[in-house]
Amino acid sequence: MAVEGTVAPVPATRVRSDRLERIVGQGLALLLSMLIALGLGSILIVGFGENPAEVYSKIFKGSLGTADGLGYVFAIATPLIFSALAVAVCFKGGMFNIGVEGQYIVGMVTAAWAALSLDFLPAVLLVPAIMIAALLGGMAWAAIAGVLKVKTGAHEVVTTIMLNQIAISLLAWAINYPLKFKEAPPGQNVDLRTDLFPDEAFVGDIGQYFGVTPGAHLSWLLFVAIAAAIIVWFLLRRTRLGYEARAVGSSPGTARAGGISIGGTQLRLFLISGALAGMVGMQQLIADKGYLGAAYVTYLGFTGIAVAFLGQNNPIGIIFAAILWGILSRGEVALQIGSEVPREFVIILQGILILSVVITYQVAKRRLLARQLQRAGAAGALEDSAALDESPGPSGPEDAGAEAFAPSDRREG
Amino acid sequence: MSSGDGAGGASSPPLVVLEAITKRFPGVLANDAVDLELRPGEVHALIGENGAGKSTLMRVLYGMYPAEEGRIFVRGEEVKIVSPRDAIALGIGMVHQHFVLVDPFTVTENIILGDEQEAVLDMSAAEGRVAELADSYGFQIDPGRPVEELSVGEEQRVEILKALYRGVEILILDEPTAVLTPGETKDLFGNLRKLREAGKSIVFISHKLDEVLEIADRITVLRRGQVVGETRPAETSKPRLAEMMVGRPVLFRLEKPEHEVGGTVLRVTDLAGEGKLNGVSLEVRGGEILGVAGVEGNGQRELAESLIGLRKPASGTVALDGKEITGHSVEDVRNAGVAYIPEDRHEGGLVLDMTIWENAVLGRHDDAEFSGGLGVLFIRKIKELAQRLVETFDVRTRSIEVTASTLSGGNQQKLILARELETDPKLLIAAQPTRGLDVGAIEFVWKEILEQKAAGRAVLLISAELDEIYALSDRIVTLYEGRITGEFPPDAAPEDVGVGMLGGAKREVG
Repeated sequence: MAVEGTVAPVPATRVRSDRLERIVGQGLALLLSMLIALGLGSILIVGFGENPAEVYSKIFKGSLGTADGLGYVFAIATPLIFSALAVAVCFKGGMFNIGVEGQYIVGMVTAAWAALSLDFLPAVLLVPAIMIAALLGGMAWAAIAGVLKVKTGAHEVVTTIMLNQIAISLLAWAINYPLKFKEAPPGQNVDLRTDLFPDEAFVGDIGQYFGVTPGAHLSWLLFVAIAAAIIVWFLLRRTRLGYEARAVGSSPGTARAGGISIGGTQLRLFLISGALAGMVGMQQLIADKGYLGAAYVTYLGFTGIAVAFLGQNNPIGIIFAAILWGILSRGEVALQIGSEVPREFVIILQGILILSVVITYQVAKRRLLARQLQRAGAAGALEDSAALDESPGPSGPEDAGAEAFAPSDRREG
Repeated sequence: MSSGDGAGGASSPPLVVLEAITKRFPGVLANDAVDLELRPGEVHALIGENGAGKSTLMRVLYGMYPAEEGRIFVRGEEVKIVSPRDAIALGIGMVHQHFVLVDPFTVTENIILGDEQEAVLDMSAAEGRVAELADSYGFQIDPGRPVEELSVGEEQRVEILKALYRGVEILILDEPTAVLTPGETKDLFGNLRKLREAGKSIVFISHKLDEVLEIADRITVLRRGQVVGETRPAETSKPRLAEMMVGRPVLFRLEKPEHEVGGTVLRVTDLAGEGKLNGVSLEVRGGEILGVAGVEGNGQRELAESLIGLRKPASGTVALDGKEITGHSVEDVRNAGVAYIPEDRHEGGLVLDMTIWENAVLGRHDDAEFSGGLGVLFIRKIKELAQRLVETFDVRTRSIEVTASTLSGGNQQKLILARELETDPKLLIAAQPTRGLDVGAIEFVWKEILEQKAAGRAVLLISAELDEIYALSDRIVTLYEGRITGEFPPDAAPEDVGVGMLGGAKREVG
């Protein structure tokens, strides 16, 4: 069964089939994990004394049954795509940016400032100017964590959590002092907020072309988000920076020996991540509300982590993951009407979904690796690749020497 | 190379019989109807290349993997072993390559863990029992010391004692010498001989043939999951064993090509840093292989990493072709014409999660040939390079689209060699270039290194394997505690080099 002799010249069809297998395998894994999640969800629904089929059909009809529902789904997905991309970019470089939350909050402050102070610009210039201000705001906030990590070794998880808190205070200060409304809005007990942005600051609604109610606030930002995902995909897969990022992320020692600067790569990734995070707040600022107030939408940065996991940190996967997230979130609204199942059920379902995706993907990845090893023809590769070994990590028997000679390293691991 | 027939004569009834064991992993036949007999009081070596199925077979016996087919008899009775617990109850113990010890616990605490005799532990009594056990087989160990203070060799002793403490009669050792220094190996063999005298049956998994010939009573050779033969040290030789393992004759002494030694390519002067290097000076000339011999941990890693630019030396200079490159970045050093084979393939040589073609360009990905001014990679160019490297270095793979993790160790090393040598370097730094490779792959790597010399390049070979140093070097220096302690011609007596490896003190070399 093992292949003797060289198999070096590889026909193009076989190369394609390897890639096809990877894609089909991942697709099947995703499908399977959704079925598992729905199955586990059914048990819960039965626990509430309801019929799973009915509850699920309510959720999916609520989000997919009408043009309006779909409009809401995509509007919910828009900021989540940016947020998940921001998480994924850092993740590929081996970092966990928990600070997307703070970065988009700062991005909203700088964007609001731009919208109010550049109000003399025509729409065609003002909208891009607001977005650039948001990008720069997010980038600046991310740069703090990035520089701290590269220069002092401070862990990004710790610094970004703290920076998130500071960002919240920064926003509160901004709407209390420099950006506070000059003319109080009509009505009593109004929240603290900025003045309304000029009409030119609004990004165009696209719901009208699909028969979606303006209330969904479906805007051109959706296409900006999809474009961002494609750009991030290109960046990671087709550019030097992406290549270096992935090398640093999966094997820093090898990357260093290959002449790659780890700190430089990570700092650049943090800046890109921050820029993407800056775009998260655009949907609510210039597609929806038209002002920045104390009652802004929170937790988009953290939800982005979940969506990134769901999309397996793949930029294209993230688009679909964000839409799926939108479907469930929108379905939550439908669930409130005429059902004993509490709306929190959707949140549980989202959680189960992430867990089952993460687990099924790992299983699928191992199986795929085992299949490739099998075809690599060397039974040997099997034993020393640790694919089927109980020990985690890519260490095989042959590594034992290297590891054991450095006992202190081994203990840390 | 005295083997002795030991007590395990062919006459004594077998302790363990494995009959037609077949074990499959998805798509791979790891063991194909393997028969094996263990007799009391013998050291039975199980040898074969990486992936021949040695460890798998023993894991089946130890209850870690269920076998699809076959039967196991222990002391004449058929048994079902479904977990290591069953195996231990039957008197079968296994010491893995990766030790499973609780670091802050003492030797005794680790040994009795899971097998405590009473609810309130009487530590001093337990220590007494452990000390007695250790003494009876000649293990030198302090039962009261925490494991975190022990050397690797001592940790291994704790693992073996753990098995003996549980009354094990059959002891399986998976590549036990892979982690040991020559001296520790000698101690281990002393212990094993005592165990054999006491009637224990020992399975010694290895691919180091010299050791096998020294310690084994019987040798079973596996290749691609099948038994290809059984023999005794007295009836065989190293080349014959190697041929059985690999399936073709293997050269142990390669013809060293002659090449005129050119000018100095690398000159290192008083290099020091991080307490591990204490003033290393050496010179390598074109067309010459300088072998740096020494016991692991005497500054080898630091030397290689300081030369390639991964570490900044505290003092001293490094010059390449007369131009100083001390403290330059890895990128600059590589661009100056230095190729590097790191001692750790997985954390230094390859990014296992990335494809073969992505690995093939590592370190050169920013050359104008492979990426443009805007940072866009020229994928097609890179894939052409990868295809060429895979073909010329005979990297056995289905395609260049699969990840490097799917390659066997030997093929991973071939890929690294291919990538590093493609650039036509002036100097090759090869750190432990054959670690963990099997005989066939070692031969390939050695030939390639000799090839570099024949092409007039300078080679700095850093190796803990004296065999390798002798097979390749034109000059030998010994590294001890971060200093060069001696220089030797390639025909110097190994004993003399050994003295240098221990700092020049008059001590016997293990």
